[in-house]
Amino acid sequence: MSLRRTAAVARRILQQFRHDPRTLGLLFVAPLIILGLFYFLIRGGSGVPAVDVVNLDGGPVGAVLASQLQASTQIEVTVTSPARAESDLANDRTAAYIVLPADLTASATSGGVVAAQVHLEGTQPGLTEPVLAALDQSEATLLGSLGAENSAHLPTIRPSLAYLHGGPGLDTLDYFGGAFIGLVVFFLVFVVTIIAFLRERSQGTLERLMASPLRRADIVAGYMAGFMVVAAVQAVEVALFTLYALHVHNQGNVALVVLVTLLLALVAVNLGIFLSMFATTEFQAVQFIPLAIVPQVLLSGIVFPVSTEPGWLQGLSNVLPLTYGVDGLRDVMLKGLGLGSSSVLLDLGVVAAFAVALVLAATATLRQRAS
Amino acid sequence: MSAAGPAVRVEELVKSFGALRALDGASLQVGTGEIYGLLGPNGAGKTTLIRALVGLVAADRGTIEVLGRRLPDHAVLAEIGYMPQSAALYADLTVEENVEFFAAIHDQGGAAARPRVTEALELVDLLARRRSVVATLSGGMRQRVSLACALVHRPRLLLLDEPTVGVDPQLRAELWQRFTEMSAQGVTLIVSSHVMDEAERCQRLGLLRFGRLLAEGTAAELRRLAGVERLEDAFLALSEPSR
Repeated sequence: MSLRRTAAVARRILQQFRHDPRTLGLLFVAPLIILGLFYFLIRGGSGVPAVDVVNLDGGPVGAVLASQLQASTQIEVTVTSPARAESDLANDRTAAYIVLPADLTASATSGGVVAAQVHLEGTQPGLTEPVLAALDQSEATLLGSLGAENSAHLPTIRPSLAYLHGGPGLDTLDYFGGAFIGLVVFFLVFVVTIIAFLRERSQGTLERLMASPLRRADIVAGYMAGFMVVAAVQAVEVALFTLYALHVHNQGNVALVVLVTLLLALVAVNLGIFLSMFATTEFQAVQFIPLAIVPQVLLSGIVFPVSTEPGWLQGLSNVLPLTYGVDGLRDVMLKGLGLGSSSVLLDLGVVAAFAVALVLAATATLRQRAS
Repeated sequence: MSAAGPAVRVEELVKSFGALRALDGASLQVGTGEIYGLLGPNGAGKTTLIRALVGLVAADRGTIEVLGRRLPDHAVLAEIGYMPQSAALYADLTVEENVEFFAAIHDQGGAAARPRVTEALELVDLLARRRSVVATLSGGMRQRVSLACALVHRPRLLLLDEPTVGVDPQLRAELWQRFTEMSAQGVTLIVSSHVMDEAERCQRLGLLRFGRLLAEGTAAELRRLAGVERLEDAFLALSEPSR
């Protein structure tokens, strides 16, 4: 091995970086953006799960437990009526509601069973865990104070859990499976499209197409149609594999799962075409993955619930197509909702609107970039 | 120039890319059915001029008329065949699939296009290799596929940017024979080239330098103008920056 030749290769690599400030920028800026997002999602979240507490107990124990829950930093508690709590949960305004039963004080002081009823929304484990942890902590504090007063008759704490969607029979894959279907298809279709369209430009065929009777819209629509054929097969394959080979829980219509996935693929195709306009090499195209895909994975609610993000990040999440795709897939697969649901219609509509907007953007920039 | 009127009329064309002025008031006329050669050193503006004729470059100033239509005019592109300098092809498709595709985007797809695809492949002597994947072909063969793609829809105007780079002399002679036949049938050809024996075959030549047309005429006229025997010497003499 020759040190001089090795140094020549290394020097040439550094020279190439010097001529490509965009790649350098990405190497040094993208990690800060991604790690910064993790920071805000994990530590910076001012948002914690919203939880209603219904205190049916007229005695002091219910009042103490409710105030301890309100003091918890892991959840944001509103004390309300049973009807309001049920409505909030059904309409995704809360992650759970906790009912403190009428006999709570009597049971607690007589050393009986303290059975707070926890009604969980259930589709996002990330929201369920802090609710249960907050209740656990509050009950432990309660036990401590009761024990100080009367150690002979300590109550047994046994909360009962009820799930609006999902349930204890579901595992982690059941919760994330729907989101993963959308993510896998979105990511792969995006990568294939951006590279394919860039190749069209780098090999000179795009210029040739622009010198033919093809119009910009013909090219974009042709790409869309061609890739959608493959994406459709992929969406069906991924959905069927997930549901029937991996046995991921699905309460909804399989066709609707495929439809949401297809719409996400449509967005991915057009996002790929659009972003390829801003890359001149395949190397630069791949750089769009950490910038366009990773933030969407972090902010679309796949792992970190959007409702627990800091307010400004929620604003960002709400303008990302994957957020609506993931929400739609969860609505269908975990909640069993269909086209009659306004939430599903909103998700489908927003994803479709993103697809249309990106078609227009890709078409508009095509001419400019070709010349 | 043909009596049928100009197929291409360019007047005072100016195009800059940043500080670089690629075309600086170039003007020329090419008659219908004429073979017009664009000569000039590298960077003279030949490719920019050809790209402007198919609307790929929007001029800063000046006018372009192609086949009687003033650019920009999308409809006229259906009657133009454009072969760029690099063989812009789909390397993962076969020779035939490439040519069929370019026929199809000129609204000549399906079974009706078969004879035209065959004819174009025969012209470039690649019928026997029609099932070969383009990525496996040599550079010269790719140039020939590219040429077939440019003429499969039987255009009225053929713009060829250095069409015979890498093509062997025998096939080059055959191609020029076909160009001459096409010209006789009324097809107008504008060909940029560095190869002097090709330039000799053009009916008229335009010498471009610094984005301007320095001289124009038949090969014999250019030789006479430069006062030299060979076209290559005329090219060198007329391209002198001092002129």
